[in-house]
Amino acid sequence: MKKKNIWQTITGSREASLVAVLVVLLVVIEIMSPSFLAPANVSQIFRNNALTLLMALGMLCVMLTAGIDISITSTLAFAGMTIGMLQKYNIIHNTFLLFLIGSAIGVVCGLLNGLIIAKAKVSPIICTMGFMYIWRGMAYVVSGNAWASGADVAGFSDFGKDGSPGPYIILILAYVIFFVVMKWTRFGRKIYAVGSNPEAARISGINVDRTVISVYTIMGFLAGLAGVLSVSIYASAQPNMQYGKEMDVIAACVIGGVSMNGGRGSVAGTFLGALIIAIIAKALPLVGIDAIAQNLVKGIIILAVVILNVITQRAMDHQNLVRREM
Amino acid sequence: MAGKSGREISAVPEGGLKEKLLSWEGALILILVAVNILGVAISPVYNVTNVLREMPKYLAEAFMVFGMGYILVLGDIDISVGSIVCLSATMACFAGNAGLPFPVVVLVCVLTGLVCGMINGLIASKFTELPTMIITLGTQIIFRGIAEVSLGSGGSLSMKDTSGLSALGTKIGPFPISFFVLVIFAVIFITLLSKTTFGRRLYAIGSNQTAAKYAGINVQGSRFFAFSLLGFLSGVCAIFLLSTLFGANTTTGNGFEMEIIAMCVFGGIATTGGKGNLIGAFIAAFIIFCLRIALGQRNINTQIILVVIGLMLIVSVVIPAISSAVSAGRKKQGN
Repeated sequence: MKKKNIWQTITGSREASLVAVLVVLLVVIEIMSPSFLAPANVSQIFRNNALTLLMALGMLCVMLTAGIDISITSTLAFAGMTIGMLQKYNIIHNTFLLFLIGSAIGVVCGLLNGLIIAKAKVSPIICTMGFMYIWRGMAYVVSGNAWASGADVAGFSDFGKDGSPGPYIILILAYVIFFVVMKWTRFGRKIYAVGSNPEAARISGINVDRTVISVYTIMGFLAGLAGVLSVSIYASAQPNMQYGKEMDVIAACVIGGVSMNGGRGSVAGTFLGALIIAIIAKALPLVGIDAIAQNLVKGIIILAVVILNVITQRAMDHQNLVRREM
Repeated sequence: MAGKSGREISAVPEGGLKEKLLSWEGALILILVAVNILGVAISPVYNVTNVLREMPKYLAEAFMVFGMGYILVLGDIDISVGSIVCLSATMACFAGNAGLPFPVVVLVCVLTGLVCGMINGLIASKFTELPTMIITLGTQIIFRGIAEVSLGSGGSLSMKDTSGLSALGTKIGPFPISFFVLVIFAVIFITLLSKTTFGRRLYAIGSNQTAAKYAGINVQGSRFFAFSLLGFLSGVCAIFLLSTLFGANTTTGNGFEMEIIAMCVFGGIATTGGKGNLIGAFIAAFIIFCLRIALGQRNINTQIILVVIGLMLIVSVVIPAISSAVSAGRKKQGN
């Protein structure tokens, strides 16, 4: 077979084209606002988008199995609110224990999602919509109409405060682990197999139900972890925190090339997708577009990306067809 | 989708399926009665007059149930309706404050909704490879984004001349006008879906799109129609919502999409397409409204309602799975 030239590699691989988009974006922004790539600004971008970046990993796994989870920010709020209240009423102040409790809550929430979706064959969007209401409601119940202020979480917020390495360590660890697991381990490949063709996966001896359950459990774990992280980063806990942000996480995955029909997507793509959204949001005011227009631009980019994807796919299919005819 | 191949085709109204649907609607009516008994039991002021007084706030939302029902029956989904409501209400406020007569304001509101719905429908029918969840996720952000940009830094706008809106919010006897409009719409759309060829075709598309296409049904045209209809109904919702709120802000209609989908699913419409009917969804909407009013009157933390709605939703979708597992277990024992 003929060796692919550079242009084909770029247009053929989703990650390569995302890197190209990112580079062009950064060059344009850097020209218009030279201080954009300063270390302080870059670390700020990562810190402000740590929650989306973290949860996008779980969403990647869920979407690879052709599922979706819209309960994540409710799980986040429930876990975050619980650990906020534990500190407010001086029950626990140990950072490690708090992380453990928050993640454990997330795992339970995710496990419930997984069990109902895998065993009762409920469609993922409906099941997670139910839990979206339940956990958000539970966050309010736990809060008892109060919220945890910066003073309440004083010692704990040191972990995620500006300049502390905590959030970055978690992010780097999570991305390295997921990159390795999804690419080179049996479990990672099972997720891809289940997403591409559940029937074939079942026949070749993969326990589809167990894979689906573990995928939602992982998602829940990350959402719980993000809840704890959120309390630490923003030094407060309110029951309505991150309301509606699950769509941002889904959008990051979609831009990163994760297919909603399952089986297609990668950790690198997800990272780049989340990063592109974050950079655009941060750069808009710098290039003279009002911050109010942020959502409008974000929506247009999402639609443009998915539609462009379809058009290039069609063109490629057409080309293949022509080649076969000759 | 693995479940698709194993699903029975419900375009033909069979006796067995009809019985099953009837029994679910029967159950829904029982739940509605139970919710009302609960209301009377927990709140001394829960009576017909008070419920009707609080109803207009919620009635506006119910309009969208019909459109969403059509879309779910087709096997699609639309999560942009909350944003369409926001954009329509915003445009109506601008039109009203520009001094346009009230009928024109209504027209602007409804047409904005219709155009938004048509955009969704156009993208969905031209780019059939895309899941409608993604399309409407994009338009959800865009429509609300347009509203945000036009509302500017204040983020809210109230109608200066409220006479027209007040007239729309008046009551005929004990019932608000929106109730009568809602009933008329209900009759039209329920009949259209369950008694006409057009409606049965939607079920055929939802059950098996490819088969429907080869049977000569205009699949993409029907999808375009359903999305446009939902957009139009979102506009109708927006104008009735304005008649109780008298203004719009950037959070108007936030979360409506999920509430409407929840009502439809609770009413027995499957999101995989081809199953369910609007009567169930219509009753389910009233169950949720009555529950809200009852718990609200008792001053129960409004957020507990979220837990209740979520639980109802989960239970209602898990019950069929459990019952089929039980019957499968029985069969095994019989063998």
